[in-house]
Amino acid sequence: MSASAPTPAAGPLDLARWRNLPLGLMAVGGLGCLVTLLVNSRQFGFSWLLGFMFYLSLALGALFLVLMHHLFDASWSVAIRRLCEHLAALCFPWLALLFVPIALLAPRIYPWMRETGTTDHFLSAKAPLFTRPMFYVVAVFCFWIWGLFTHRLRRWSLQQDADGAARCTQMMRRYSGGGVVLYPIVLTLAAIMWVKALQHQWFSTMYGVYYFAESVWVTVATVYFIALLLKSAGKLDALLQETQFYMLGSLLLAFTVFYAYIHFAQYFIIWNANLPEETYWYVLRERGSWWYVGMIIIFGHFFLPFLALLRIDVKLKFACMLPLCLWAWLMHYFDMAFNIMPVLHPNNFSFTGMWADLSCLALMGGVLLRAFVRDCGRYPLYPLKDPRLGECLGVYHAPAVASTPASAAPPLGTAGAKPKTAS
Amino acid sequence: MTATPTRYGLVAEFETPAATMHAAARLRDEGFQHWDVFTPYPVHGMDKAMGLKSSKVGWFSFLGGVTGYTTGMLMIWFMNKLDYPIPVGGKPLFSPFSAFPPSYELTILFGSFGALLGMLFLNRLPRLHHPLLKHRRFALASHDRFFIVVETSDPRYREGETRTLLESLGSTQVEPVEE
Repeated sequence: MSASAPTPAAGPLDLARWRNLPLGLMAVGGLGCLVTLLVNSRQFGFSWLLGFMFYLSLALGALFLVLMHHLFDASWSVAIRRLCEHLAALCFPWLALLFVPIALLAPRIYPWMRETGTTDHFLSAKAPLFTRPMFYVVAVFCFWIWGLFTHRLRRWSLQQDADGAARCTQMMRRYSGGGVVLYPIVLTLAAIMWVKALQHQWFSTMYGVYYFAESVWVTVATVYFIALLLKSAGKLDALLQETQFYMLGSLLLAFTVFYAYIHFAQYFIIWNANLPEETYWYVLRERGSWWYVGMIIIFGHFFLPFLALLRIDVKLKFACMLPLCLWAWLMHYFDMAFNIMPVLHPNNFSFTGMWADLSCLALMGGVLLRAFVRDCGRYPLYPLKDPRLGECLGVYHAPAVASTPASAAPPLGTAGAKPKTAS
Repeated sequence: MTATPTRYGLVAEFETPAATMHAAARLRDEGFQHWDVFTPYPVHGMDKAMGLKSSKVGWFSFLGGVTGYTTGMLMIWFMNKLDYPIPVGGKPLFSPFSAFPPSYELTILFGSFGALLGMLFLNRLPRLHHPLLKHRRFALASHDRFFIVVETSDPRYREGETRTLLESLGSTQVEPVEE
């Protein structure tokens, strides 16, 4: 295998130039967070929740990409799998630690926690779930499942780097099989308990899928961005070929449409049924400048990337894709704000609140970036001995001559001499 | 029917996909325009070897989709708002939300019509006959042989030269085909 000869990309990535970025983000963000916490702790709680859900979507989206890689036995995504494994592994302990402020401030963030007695029908109907102890039990359960699956998947992947055993692939597949069943359940629980519960009277069966769709969307854009950075830094050059970028671009287009479909479906069903206990969620989000945030999501989150990504060549044009990936982060911020902030600022999108949001995003981003960069430096940047690595590189090995009678057909032996596709 | 049939082109037969691909890359570099490759199965990388640009069918499906969406919206607006208004539950007579699902379906329907018809149009199909069908060995293109056909209409086509070129590229058999 080509992996036996170490290429420069196999070594730890030199990220010296980026080493100060996480610290800078943490310092600036930490200062902003401290000021917000002292001035308005409720605003801090909401901003922190926004930042947390923002980064949680990256980790969960990456976990999804890893699960799908194993379930579909994909070859193209070998190149980006290690990056996704590192992103997913941020779930534990980092995101779990970042959840602590939410756990502490929960009674100030979630109105249902302040309700006393059982007069509220919406609470008693959801009684076992919407109680204080269950809130914390659910949080522990979510992080336990995420930690278990992300770390087991990464451990077997790293194990394969060492011994190249087929058993590692089999174990990763087994974890993916179980993981794909638990994944939507745990993700839906998290989306309901941490975001939807801000307005606990509301119900939407699509909410989990909605959070999932936006998570994978922003993750694919992020992975594209990281791959682009690595490529331009001359790392992973042999692995990150046209195919990888084309596939990521196609996934981004697919999830652009999927997200819009899910969000429209949720809106349409509520609009059509016209029941006050459902419509009030959207009525709140059409007040004041929230209306324009909704428009930004329709046109910026859907139409712009959709029309841009329709063409096959744009998916490979880095000058188009780089701004689009950054745009995806901006749109994801607005999307999260649309879901969380109207509860705190019912009349208008708050620009002063936005500074608090940005502080939280910077602080958390610094912490997570530091952990991610450390992991990238500590382990090889791609699965060194993955059985599909050759295919991912575009190298074709002729299968061994089968034991079937050779006279049946003249062997297409030269078929194996398929030339490497010119890059 | 003419007494002396005009020549359609040269049919070069190859035994392996690799030889075919190398020959195609050479013809592409020589600047040939009216030529094609026929293989029993899709050969990965042949598009590049032939220098094919990405298909124009996408534009037909896009136009079809836009037509479908507009048709759906206009149809529902005309029927529900102008032609036969039925007020239901205090809702607006026309709203893009309720009109979206049918319009979306029409987008897909007309988009696929556009793709199908665009493909047929670009391929100049349907047609009843093609000169290559007269060629005795051409049926092998669906079995185990690979063919490159260079048409006489190609500006780079030279009777003797093109034949020697194809032979030098590893073709086992080069034969002319009449119109």
